[in-house]
Amino acid sequence: MSEHEHQEHDPHEHDHGHHPEPPTDVEARALALESLLIEKGILTSEQVDEIIRTFEQDIGPMLGARVVARAWVDRDFRKRLIEDANAAVGELGLSTTNLARLSVVANEPGVHNMIVCTLCSCYPWMVLGLPPTWYKSPPYRSRAVREPRVVLEEFGVTIQEDVEIRVWDSSSDLRYMVLPERPSGTADMTEAELAELVTRDSMIGVGLPRVPAARS
Amino acid sequence: MSAVRPATSLDGNLALPRKNGELVFEAPWEGRAFGMALALTDGGPLAWNDFRQLLVEQIRTEPDHRYYEQWLAAFEALVTDSGLLTREQLERRAAEYRSMERDEVF
Amino acid sequence: MVAIQRDIDSVVVNGVHDMGGMHGFGPIVIETGEPVFHAEWEGKVRAIFSGTVGRYYNLDEFRHVIERMEPTAYLEAVYYERWLHAVETLLDEKGVLASGSAPAPQAPPKRPSNFPAPKFKAGDRARARNLHPEGHIRLPRYVRGKSGVVTSVKGPFLLPDANAHGNHDVWEYVYPVRFAARELWGADASARDSVSVDLWESYLEAVR
Repeated sequence: MSEHEHQEHDPHEHDHGHHPEPPTDVEARALALESLLIEKGILTSEQVDEIIRTFEQDIGPMLGARVVARAWVDRDFRKRLIEDANAAVGELGLSTTNLARLSVVANEPGVHNMIVCTLCSCYPWMVLGLPPTWYKSPPYRSRAVREPRVVLEEFGVTIQEDVEIRVWDSSSDLRYMVLPERPSGTADMTEAELAELVTRDSMIGVGLPRVPAARS
Repeated sequence: MSAVRPATSLDGNLALPRKNGELVFEAPWEGRAFGMALALTDGGPLAWNDFRQLLVEQIRTEPDHRYYEQWLAAFEALVTDSGLLTREQLERRAAEYRSMERDEVF
Repeated sequence: MVAIQRDIDSVVVNGVHDMGGMHGFGPIVIETGEPVFHAEWEGKVRAIFSGTVGRYYNLDEFRHVIERMEPTAYLEAVYYERWLHAVETLLDEKGVLASGSAPAPQAPPKRPSNFPAPKFKAGDRARARNLHPEGHIRLPRYVRGKSGVVTSVKGPFLLPDANAHGNHDVWEYVYPVRFAARELWGADASARDSVSVDLWESYLEAVR
């Protein structure tokens, strides 16, 4: 289908401007809809932006990603996050009234952290959204503590032998979240761009952050 | 905002594409189609259930289309069925975009 | 939906929910494109849970109802079926469903202001006691009798063992304790890796 020629567009790129080449059929239809609906005063493009943003934040882990990106750019924030995660998260304007007691564990050279709840399914859902089914399932709950390296290989992550894996079993009121290491090649990225690299899986500890695409 | 989040009534083959829980849009237009449908049906002038029914229809009649193509077609049907826009208006405007007479994107 | 068998009659000890280290559950199934709720009823169960937890029952009572499920029912139930069972059971037991009007919701317990000092500090070695109580406990089987290092002091938090069974004013400090993989799983395990478990003070004894 012709829309595949646009696969190389980064879906996160948001170009409020002009289109460099002719739109595909489906793009033209979507543009037609939006431009006409705006002209008729039925909706605004800001409304559409807001829905996409709210929806992704409401259900996904964007809150956690913002916390991680801030910790990557601000060394003092990182320190405060590790000492008192609830207070630090509150600094970003996130509501903390319903926030369970959060504990952030940091990956560093030589240490990789992983979260599980063997007894049920405790999860830091206030910053990561609702947990995926696999997290709540018997295979993960039983094996993450017993053979974390094998489990990580199944997720496509290889941890070197000389790196210590620390598995955290969330058996109490504390909810754990992993602070992944900042990928290399990101020195000139903004905080918002950094947040895009942070995946939900990297904050559980079964994945690593995305690596930025090669810059020209 | 309505009491029932529309997303929770999209299950089975109606479910929004996700990768590990996160919404996936393969191209910006998919996000726009998604946002527009929700803007107009979630507390807006059109009914979510009508959209949902049209989406079911699209999936049934065009099973080989990709998800957001089905979504777009359902939304076009919703907007024209309700009289907000006509097919002619949409076709004319789309042609203007394809021929690059018009090039504003969102 | 499977019909959920009512709770087993005898008090449960060492329920099947305590899964750390168990074998035989098979591979982890990662569903790509997984929706947040697989069906509309799941979202509704979660919404009902959010509206009733902390008001008519507490989280420890909720977990314990799930733990009391007949083992095969527990394992066969779809995740949110367990929640549905727990919410139904608790609202029923607390008389919320039967009575014509909702009873007054419980106020959340207040942490006491005068509290004794923690028994352990970061760096101490401690052993998880070999407890096998009837009723609710948050001490996983795989660490019982094992020794590890306390890494910090948290809380105090309500003791789930008491809170799940009607006693809402027992508070204790909680200690994340790090156990070496070999301590838990034997000599074939990694020499480097570890598992940290959060343990209430009464679950721990000092190691000389």
